[in-house]
Amino acid sequence: MTRSTLRAGVATLAIGALALTGCAGGGEASGGDAATYPQDDITLIVQAAAGGGSDLSARALATELEPILGVSIVVENRPGASGSTAMQYVADQDPDGQTIGFVPVEVAMLKHLNFDVDPAAYDFLGQIMLGPGVLSVPVDSPYQTLEQFVTAAKSRPMAVGNSGAGSIWEAAALGLASETGAQLTSVPFDGEAPAVAAVAGGQIDAAVGGGASASAAYAEQQIRPLAVFHNERHPLMPDVPTAAEAGFPLEFGGWGGIYAPKGLPADVRTTLESAIQQAANSPGFTETIEKSGSLPVYKSGEEFTAFVNSEYERFGTLLGQG
Amino acid sequence: MNALADGIAALLDPTVAVCFVVGLLVGTLVGFFPGITGSMAVALASGFTLTLEPVQGLAVLLTIYVGANYGDRIPSILVNTPGTPAAIATTFDGYPMARQGKAGLALVSSSIVTTGGILLSMVLFVVAARPVAQLALEFGPAEMFALVVFGLAIMVSVSGKSVVKGLIAGVAGLVLATVGRDPITGDARFVFGVNDLNSGLPFIAVIIGLFGIAELFDQLLTHRPHTVKPISSLGRWWPTRGEYRQMARPFGVSSVIGMIVGAVPAAGGDIAGLIGWDRAKRMSKEPDRFGKGSLEGLTAADTASSATLGGSLTTTMALGIPGDAVMAVMIGSMIIWGVQPGPSLFTREPELMVSIAGIMVMAALVSLAISLVRTRGIVRLLDLPNHYLWGGILVCCIVGTYTTTNNIYTVWVMLVSGVVGVVMKRCGFPPGPVVLGLLLGPLAESNLRRALLIDGPAGLVTQPIAAGLLVLALVALAGPLVARARAARTERRGAMTAPVHRRWVAVDHPSWRQAHASTVLAVGGDLLAAWFAGEREGSPDTRIWCARRPQGRRAGRHRWSSPPAMRRTGTRCSPPGRTAPCGCSSSAAR
Repeated sequence: MTRSTLRAGVATLAIGALALTGCAGGGEASGGDAATYPQDDITLIVQAAAGGGSDLSARALATELEPILGVSIVVENRPGASGSTAMQYVADQDPDGQTIGFVPVEVAMLKHLNFDVDPAAYDFLGQIMLGPGVLSVPVDSPYQTLEQFVTAAKSRPMAVGNSGAGSIWEAAALGLASETGAQLTSVPFDGEAPAVAAVAGGQIDAAVGGGASASAAYAEQQIRPLAVFHNERHPLMPDVPTAAEAGFPLEFGGWGGIYAPKGLPADVRTTLESAIQQAANSPGFTETIEKSGSLPVYKSGEEFTAFVNSEYERFGTLLGQG
Repeated sequence: MNALADGIAALLDPTVAVCFVVGLLVGTLVGFFPGITGSMAVALASGFTLTLEPVQGLAVLLTIYVGANYGDRIPSILVNTPGTPAAIATTFDGYPMARQGKAGLALVSSSIVTTGGILLSMVLFVVAARPVAQLALEFGPAEMFALVVFGLAIMVSVSGKSVVKGLIAGVAGLVLATVGRDPITGDARFVFGVNDLNSGLPFIAVIIGLFGIAELFDQLLTHRPHTVKPISSLGRWWPTRGEYRQMARPFGVSSVIGMIVGAVPAAGGDIAGLIGWDRAKRMSKEPDRFGKGSLEGLTAADTASSATLGGSLTTTMALGIPGDAVMAVMIGSMIIWGVQPGPSLFTREPELMVSIAGIMVMAALVSLAISLVRTRGIVRLLDLPNHYLWGGILVCCIVGTYTTTNNIYTVWVMLVSGVVGVVMKRCGFPPGPVVLGLLLGPLAESNLRRALLIDGPAGLVTQPIAAGLLVLALVALAGPLVARARAARTERRGAMTAPVHRRWVAVDHPSWRQAHASTVLAVGGDLLAAWFAGEREGSPDTRIWCARRPQGRRAGRHRWSSPPAMRRTGTRCSPPGRTAPCGCSSSAAR
C-alpha cells in the first residue's frame, strides 16, 4: 500500500509539474524569424473556463490549425472578470505570433462597461463562428409572433431574461427596445440556462439567448422561439423567422474569432491569417460548430477588423443609453 | 422506460468504467487521509475532468464523493481523527470500540451502515425526485430567494459553541460576497481597481484556504509532538445476529434524519452525523453507553452522515442549489459540461438521472467490497510521517487552485484565506458560516433583485411557495435560538439546586492517554489532587501524578501547581497484586 501511495504521490506531482511548465511555455519569445515562423508551440488563450462554448470553438480550431502550421497549439484557459483577465493578458504579450487568443464579442463591449479593454490593442486575424441570438417566450404565452410581442410590450413592460449583466443578450434586448420603442425590463440571470428555465417555468415574459440553449428547449417544446436575430434562419429551428422577416432588421450574435497582441510582423500575420482561413473552413471545424448550435461564419482579418470596429461603435451607442 | 435503458447503457461504456475506477481509488485514498475532505478531492479532480463527457465526469466525481465517505471512517475509528468533518460523530463511539479491541467490528459495521444509508437515500432520489422536480419548475427567482434564505437560516445551527461568533462569521461571508460586479446593473463593487476582483472572490480558493490551508498552517504552528500509534489488532470483524438487531433502530432513525438534513441546502454529513447520534441516543435503551463504544452510536452517526448523499443529490439536481460543499463543486463542473442542474434537468435529461443513480449505487456497493478487503492493509498508510502528508496536501492545493484559472492570483487568494482561517480558528470563529455566506449571499441577492424586477415586492408574499418557505426559514432561524435559550435557562435552574464547580487541575499532557481514580484531599489546609495517568492500564509509563493548590492568600486563586514540575514524585505502577510506595504526598507538602 505504501508503495502505491508513493506512486500516486509522484504521479500527482508529475501532473502538477506538467501543468505548471505547460503554462509557462507560452512566455518565451522566439523573435519571430519570418522565414521559419512558426517554430515553437503557439499558445491560444481562451477567456472562458474549459468546457464552455468559447472553449469548444477554440479547441476545435486549434485541432485544425496544428497540421496546417506544423506546431502544437496549446489552449490555455484564463477565465475571470467577464473575459477581461484574458484580454488584458493577451494585450500584454509580445506581438511575435507565439501567443494568440480566442476573441469573443465582449471585446467590443467591455470598454463601454468600464473595463480596461480596448479593441485598438489587438490585431484581429479572422472571425470563425457566430451564435445568433433568439428571442423566446413561454409555450403558453399569448404572443405568436415578434410583432405581437412588440406591440404588447408598448402598452405594458415585459420582463426579458438574459444570461447576465453586460452580456451580449442583454444588449440585444436593449437594442430591440430602442429600435421598436417596446418597454423591455432586462432581468439578468447567472448564465443562459437559468434564463431559459425561467421562460419554461413562465416566471418571465421572454428571454434572449444563444441558439444552442434555445434549440434544445425548443425541441422539448418547453419554450416558443419568436425570432432569430440574424440575416438568415437558424438551421436548428428552420420554421422560426428572422427578426428582419418580422419587420425589425436587427442582428445580434455571440461571435468569435482569433486575435493577437497589436503589432504582429506582416509575414507572421499573413501566415496566421491564411492558416486560420483554411482551418475555419475545414469540414472538421464546421461540423463541430454546427453540432454545438452555432454557425461557422468566417470573415478575413481585414473584414473582421472592420466588423469589430463597427460593433464597438454600435455597442457604444447602445450601452451608453443603458 | 427509455430513459432507464439509455441511462444504464451509458454506464456500460468502457471509458465510464475507467473513470469509475479512478474515482474509486482517489476517493478511498482521499477520505483516508485525515484532513483531506471529499470536497477538496472533488474540487481538485474537477480540474482534470472538465474535458470529459458528463457521464464520464460524473463517474469520477460522484465516485470520489462516495468513496471518501468510506475512507474517512478509518482514521476516525483507528486514531480518533476524523478524515472529513462528516466523520466527526464516528469518533464518538468508533474510537472507544477500537480501544476495546473491537476495531474490526467497528470498521465493518461502519462500512455496512454507510452503504445502507447511501442506498436508502438513493431510493429517495429515484422515487421522490420526480415530485421534487415537478415542484422545482415552479421555482422562479422569488421562490429561489426564499429557499436561499432558508439555507442562510442554518447559519445559527452551524455556528458551533458561540452563536454570536457564528453570526459574525456568516455576516463577514455575506459582505465578502458583495465583492465583484453587481449581478443586475453590472457596476463594479469593492473592486479597488483590481481587475480580477470583477468576478468576485474565487469561491473554491476561499474554501480550500479556510479549511485545508488553515488546518495545515495550524498544524505547522503547533509544536506539540502528537504521536499516535495505529491500532494493530483488529479483532472480530462481523457483527453477530444480536448486534445486527441492535443496529436496526438507530439505522432507521438516522437514515431519515440524514436524508432530511442532506436535502437542506448547505447542511451536510457533519451536522447530520451529530444530530443522528444525538437522536439515536435519546431513543436508545442504553443511552449511557453512547460515547463509550456503543455499536448503536457508531451506527447512528455513520448512517446519518452517509444518508445525506442522496438527499443532497436530490436538492442539487432538482433545484440547482448545492446540498453541500461537494455538490457546490459538482454544480460548477456540470455547468462546464453543459448540464445545468436545476428545475428542468429531470425532464430534460432523465437518462442522465438514471446514470447518476446507477453510479451512486455501484460506487456504494464496490466501496463496501473494497473497504472490507482493504481494511487490514490500509491501516499501515497512516504511518506516513506528518510532514510528508502536509507537504503533499499543500502541493495539491496550490496546483488545484491554480488550474481552476491558470492565474496565480487565485493561489494568493487561497493562501490569504488560509492565514485568515488560522486566525479565525484560534479566535474561535467557525469557518462554516463564512463559506455559507459567500456561497449563498450572491444567490440571495441576485434572486431577490430579479424577483423585484419581475413582480415587485408583492411577489414575495403572494406566491405561495415563496411565502411558505420564508415562514419556514423564520422558524428554522428561531428554532435553534429558542432551544439554546431554553438550554441556558435549564442550566441556570440546575445551578441553583446543585452547584457544580468545574476547574482544571492540570492541562492535557502528551503521555496521558488514559487517566482514572482521581482523588482530592485536604493536606494541612492545602488541596492535593492525585490520579493515575499514562498510556493505558498496566503500561510501564503509568504513574501517579499529583498537583497541589495552596489555600488562602499565599498564592493566586485557583492556581494548581503544575504536575510536570513534580515529575520525579510519581511512582511507577507495579504489576497487579503488589503494592508500591507512593511518595507524592510528602514531596507535594515540601
